[in-house]
This record gives sequence, C-alpha cells and structure tokens, in this order.
Amino acid sequence: MHLKYESQLREPLVNGKKTYHDVTEDIVRPIEAKPSKLWYIGFYIAVALLLFGIYSVYRDVTYGIGQWNLNKTVGWGWDITNFVWWVGIGHAGTLISAILLLFRQGWRTGVNRAAEAMTIFAVMCAGQFPIWHMGRVWMGFFVLPYPNTRGPLWVNFNSPLLWDVFAISTYFTVSLLFWYSGLLPDLATVRDRAKTKLRKYLYGVASFGWNGSTKHWQRHESLSLVLAGLSAPLVLSVHTIVSFDFATSVIPGWHTTIFPPYFVAGAIFSGFAMVQTLLLIVRKVFAMEDYITIGHIEAMNKVIVLTGSIVGCAYLTELFMAFYSQNKYEGYAFFYSRANFFSPYGWAYWGMMTCNVLSPQIFWFKKLRRNLFVTFFMSVIVNIGMWFERFVIIVTSIYRDYLPSSWTVYYSPSIWEIGFYVGTFGLFFTCFFLFAKYFPVIAIAEIKHVLKTSGESFKESVDNIEKQSAAEFAHEYAH
Amino acid sequence: MASSIKEQFEIPSKLKTWAYALIGVGLLAFIVGFITKGRGTEEEQAQFIGIIMYNTIFWTLVCNAAMFFVCIHTLAWSGWQQVFRRIPEAISTLVPIFGSITLVLLLYIVFSGNHHIYHWLDTKAVEGDAILKGKSGFLNAKFFVIWTVLTLGLWSLLGWRMRKLSSEADQASMNNESGKTYVWKNTVTASLFIVWFGLTVGSTIHWFWLMSLDAHWYSTMYSWYNFASTFVSGISLITLWVIYLKNKGYLEYTNQEHLHDLGKYIFAFSIFWAYLWFAQYMLIWYSNQPEETIYFKHRVQGPYKGIFFLNLIINFVCPILILMKRSVKRNYTLMTFMAVLILFGHWIDFYLEVMGTISKEHVTLGWLDFGILSLFVGLMILFVAKALASKPLVAKYDPFLKESIVHHT
Repeated sequence: MHLKYESQLREPLVNGKKTYHDVTEDIVRPIEAKPSKLWYIGFYIAVALLLFGIYSVYRDVTYGIGQWNLNKTVGWGWDITNFVWWVGIGHAGTLISAILLLFRQGWRTGVNRAAEAMTIFAVMCAGQFPIWHMGRVWMGFFVLPYPNTRGPLWVNFNSPLLWDVFAISTYFTVSLLFWYSGLLPDLATVRDRAKTKLRKYLYGVASFGWNGSTKHWQRHESLSLVLAGLSAPLVLSVHTIVSFDFATSVIPGWHTTIFPPYFVAGAIFSGFAMVQTLLLIVRKVFAMEDYITIGHIEAMNKVIVLTGSIVGCAYLTELFMAFYSQNKYEGYAFFYSRANFFSPYGWAYWGMMTCNVLSPQIFWFKKLRRNLFVTFFMSVIVNIGMWFERFVIIVTSIYRDYLPSSWTVYYSPSIWEIGFYVGTFGLFFTCFFLFAKYFPVIAIAEIKHVLKTSGESFKESVDNIEKQSAAEFAHEYAH
Repeated sequence: MASSIKEQFEIPSKLKTWAYALIGVGLLAFIVGFITKGRGTEEEQAQFIGIIMYNTIFWTLVCNAAMFFVCIHTLAWSGWQQVFRRIPEAISTLVPIFGSITLVLLLYIVFSGNHHIYHWLDTKAVEGDAILKGKSGFLNAKFFVIWTVLTLGLWSLLGWRMRKLSSEADQASMNNESGKTYVWKNTVTASLFIVWFGLTVGSTIHWFWLMSLDAHWYSTMYSWYNFASTFVSGISLITLWVIYLKNKGYLEYTNQEHLHDLGKYIFAFSIFWAYLWFAQYMLIWYSNQPEETIYFKHRVQGPYKGIFFLNLIINFVCPILILMKRSVKRNYTLMTFMAVLILFGHWIDFYLEVMGTISKEHVTLGWLDFGILSLFVGLMILFVAKALASKPLVAKYDPFLKESIVHHT
C-alpha cells in the first residue's frame, strides 16, 4: 500500500477533526430532521413560480406561440436565449464529476453531488424551451428518426437542431446515471439509519439493495470510471452542438469558427456561478461549512475568473475579426448592433461585457475570492451576464436582417414569455428543494475517502513527514 | 542512499556530437538552399524563406508552450509534475534563442518588403484593394514589428523570471511560511505569463505571423487552433526529454506514473486539437462562403490533399487509437514513438499552414524542409542539454516535491 500524502501547504478539504461517523451524522441529519420553516417558504415560492410557468405554457399550447412577441425577423427570442442559458448552467456538474475527476482535483468531492443534481435540473429546464417552441407540441415525436408512414419525410440529419436532440438527450441520460450511481452507497447509508418502516422501504428500493460488499464497490468503481469516460467528451460536445445551431448559419454575428470552444467555456463559467449561488445557500442552511470550505469556494472562483477571461478573449477576437474581415455585414452586427452603446440593444452588449469579462477580474485577488458576500453577488452577476450573452447573440443578430423593409420594431417579451422563463426557475428550485430534503447533498462515501488524505486531522499527522528531506522521504515511501 | 542519486546532468559527448552533427547538416542545407533557391526566382526565394519561417515559428511556439506548461501547473497548485519540472524549464530557455531567429527573419521579411510572403506589405496592392486597405490599421509594418518584439521580449523575460524563482527551491528547506511565500511569488509571475500568453498565443500573434500570410482570409478559431497544436507538441517534447534522462539513469523519482500522466496529456490534447480542427473546418465547409472556403480549397482538393489527410491521421487517428490503452502510456518505447510522431505531425501541420499558402500550386516538401528541421532539432538538443546541466535536475526543496515522488495515477 503506498503512502497517501498531501503537502501541508494545501488547506484541509474537510475542516474539524471528523471521524467517519461524524461525516455521516453531519450530512444525513438534514434528511432525517423535519424541514425548517425557511425550507417550506422557499419550496412554496418555487411551486408558485412553477404553476405560473405551467399556465404560461398552457397559453402557448392552446393559442399558439403567437402568445409570444416573436416577430418576422426575431424568430428566436427569449425562448432560445433561455434554452441556451439553462443548458450552459447544466455544464458545471459534469465538468466537476468527469473532468475534475480526471484531473484528480480532491475538492470536487465537496461539491460534486449538488452540482450534478443542479446539472440535471438545469437540463430539464433547458429542454422545455425547444419542446414548447414547437407550437404543435403533439407533433414533437417527429424529431425522432424512425421509419414512418409520412413517406420520405425524415428528420433533417443535416440540421444542427436535430444534433441538439441527440446531444442533449445523451447528456441528460449519462448525467443522470452518473449522479444516481454515485448516490447508491449514500442512499444505502440513509436506509441503514432509517427508523421507520416506510423510510427503510423507500430508501431500500432507491439504493438498489446496496450492501457495501467489496464486489459492489468494485463494480461501482468501474461503472464510475466508464461513466466519467463517457461524460468527459460530453462536457465539450453538448455546448459545441448548441453553438452549431448558430455558427453553421450565414447570419452575421453567428457564423464564426470560435463559437464551439467559446460556448463551452461560457457554459462552464455560468455553471460554476450557479453552483456557487446554490452551495453558498446550502452550506449556510444545512451547516455544511466544514465540508464546503472557503477553500472550495475559492477554487470555484478561480474557475470563474479563468473561464470568464477565456470568454472575454473570444468576445474580443470576434469583435476584432468583424473589423479585420472587412465584411460589412459582420461590421454592422458588431459595431452597430452590439458595441454601439446607443444602438437599440447596445445596453445589452455592454451589460454582457461588464458582467462576464470585467467584473470577474476581481477574482484575481485572493481576499475577494474568499469573501462569501462578494462571491454570492458575483455568482448572480455572472449568470445575468451569461443570459445577456445569449440574448445579445440571438436578438442583435436577427432584429435587423439583410432586408431593411422587414426590420422590426424593438423586440420585448410578452408576459407569457416571461412567465415561461420564471416557470423554469420554479421547476429548477422545486426540484432542488426536494433534492436537498431527501438526498444527501454531499457525497458521503467520497468525503470519507478524501478524509484520509486531506482531512484536518490527517494533515496534522504528517508533521514528521513534512520535516523529512526529499531523499529520506523517497527512500522510505517511493514505490 | 541520497549520495547515489544522479542529480546533476552531465552532457554525454555522444549527445553533443549528435547535436553538432544535426546543426551541421542544417547549416549545410541552409547554405545549399540559399544558393539554389535563395537567389532564384521570386517564387523560389519565397519558398526558401517560408521553409525557415514555419520551422522557426513552430519551434519558438513549442518551446514557449513548455513554459506555459510550467505556469499552468504553478497556478493550479499541481504537485505531480514537480519531479521533472526542470525539463520544461530547460526547454523554455530556447524561447529567446529561437525567438531571436524568428525576429530576425520576420524583420528581414518586413524590411525587405517581401510581399510574396506577406501580401499586405505591398503598398501598391494595398492601395488598390479595399479589404487590405481597411485592414491596414492592424496589418502594417510598424505595428507588426512592435508587437513581435514585445511578444518575444515578454515571453523571454517572464520565462526567465519563472526559472530564476525555481532556483530558490535548490537553496534551503522550506517551512510552511516560506513555502507559501515561494508559491506566492511563483503564482504572481505565472499569472503575468498566462495573461500575456492569452493576449499573444491565444489571439494576436497567430494573426500577425501566420494568418496574415493569407491576407484576405480570416477565422476566429485560428489562434486557439494553433495554440492546441503547439501545446500538444510541447508536451511531447517534454516527454521525450523525460524518457531520455530516465534512460540515462537520471530522474530517479520520475517513474511510469508520471509517464502515464504525460501520456494522458498527449492523448487529451490531441483530441482537443482535433476538436478545434473539426470545429473550424466543419463550420467553414457548412456555411460554404467563398471568402472562407478559399483557404481550404487547394489544401483539400488541390496538390496538398495527401498532406491534409496525413495531418489528421498522425495527429488524431494515431493518438486516439494508440494512446487509448493504459499499457501504452506506461511504455517508454511506445511513448517515445508517439511523442516523436506527434511532434512530426504538428510540424507537418505548420508546413501545411505556411507552405500551403506560399506555394499553392506545388508541394515542395523535400530535403530543404528536413535540413532546416535538423538545424532546429540540433539547436534544441544542444541548448536544452546545456540548460539541464546548469542546474540540479530536481528542485529538492520544492514544497510539492514529495507529493510528486509518491504520485500515483
């Protein structure tokens, strides 16, 4: 057995000198206790929003998408903006579970469970928009390619919109499997502690009869590895294909080759911001400060400043190419419709620049990265910015097309478009509240795993190792 | 035990001989090339310069990518690569050397007004060309020179500072406090390097040096694509040196675990490169606009067809199939083969980018290309070996060294 060792320079991933039992107690407690008043208030607000959303969608289905303010050139408005926004948010979970696993980032264990749950809920919200945008949603099954009685009427395999159907449904499936298979040992822990028959039965079913045998762990580990392998390319592919929805076209501002990687960076950026928003609340409400430490928050803020800067590099590259290409349509899209503050949507472009590129730069400073209020504020700002990014891309490129006679009046959403968007917040938070109540919000088994290398008490136990010289150390422990 | 560790690299005379031989072959090729092509027709001259150009730019960027490797790991507080960190550091000492060659060549092109290389240098043509005229705010000799000097200067300076800071870890053992200070100092310089890297390699410098060869053509992806190309090459070069030193009995702490992770790196970034390649190519193909497709037209359908597909086979198909297996990534022989293959593959990619534009009608890949390549490889071996010999191979007081020693993939 080789030595598990980590430098004392790294701060502990689990604070307080916890035993395995403490970990279980701390994380399972909120599940076993009655929810607080705050939880009920939050949950009911979320359900109310969801109901408003359902009514808005009901209007859309009954009366058609004429209920929205889409018009002759702005055929995609809030609906697709919101779709892309939610899909983007749904990237952090898989990045944390797959990519950070491959990079062996120990801090992922504190945040992966909640982030993965958030991913699944965000993708559920995202999926609503293209589905209800179909208008005649009962024809929705037309997107599935199967031999049919509609003659030669197959789906258009050349269309990135169809690729989206495959990309997102694959992503959803794999994320769900990954999240759920990770939950199995933890659900079994809850089952084993259950005091009522019903609880025991329900958690027993949910944990698929997990008994913690070596064989189970062995299979669990190989399954995780396979799913991590499948998820890693999915982190890139989903938003790449979403970006193709735009970039394969010949619309100025949409057709640009940098879109795929830049969309992926933006997705991770907004996903981490949403994880911050949720986890800052969770750690406070459920008293999880020992597991989601300031170190975790700081690490995520580093990801935010990195991805925000990558996105900034892409924005400036696009802007530069609009000039460099000397293509007057690109020039119009970028220098009139976007960068000109006094054009109808100039405010949206500058809002995007401020929220996504300028403001995250404050995270170069350690003090601000470790400040909870600043982090919470910034996490909201970033997601506002990322919403504006999609709005800017979509609306500013199409509200004035090649034919000035069809230029439209200022596009602003109808109450039912807003209602639909608000409704997805309802769906998202309803799901998240239920998740936080009934599932362990932190991966118990995985925390126990890092406890041995990165817990506070372990850190102190390596004092003597820290004093050894490299040669002595190598002599003793190198394999 | 400690005394038996070979910490100090001594350059084997055989290696020196090889380096000088390669440099000799390279110089000979340069001279013969100069006589046969360098004084020939304008087209031949352009080919001669083009060949030196893609070699020097490629090697400058690859060696700079080694410093990028050091900086990102510094910023990420990564421990695993400490046992061989001196190798990317040594490779990065070439940035000022290859950078000077690049600078001299680019200055020569600009001041001799060689518009067969950079069409936009031809003031008459620019006057009569609305698009080039519009671009002249960016594509002009003055800005080009200033930015090139600044770019190479800051890469060299910040790289030098990183290497200097690293020497502190040879001096005295660090406690928690001094360890933190050491990491902090490294972090500041690495951040500066990364920011400057983003502003140059992540964007501007590829537009200037390479994309402007096709003065009308543009692609927003271009710089990131070339970044991926040179980064994966940089990791391959690091891997080759790691294996070489290991074979010579150095780098006692480095083992298959580290090699395995380098293999993963090459695997992942080969796929990342292919991803960017595909995104750029597919979007241009799909929207089919002549001002964009013109770049690929003669590369896919013309005389460069073979090299075009060879590029994809070497740089994507080979790594994904061969490096997928764990046992390959832990095998010194196969990893050597793959690292050489990938360096060659991306060198071919640069050939395709530069010569595919300068010599559109004829594929000229031949003795001169390989001769100049040999010059650069020889110089690289000589200077990396010298840099390695100038310092202990392992910074024995680095706070993360122990993590690296027991690193387990």
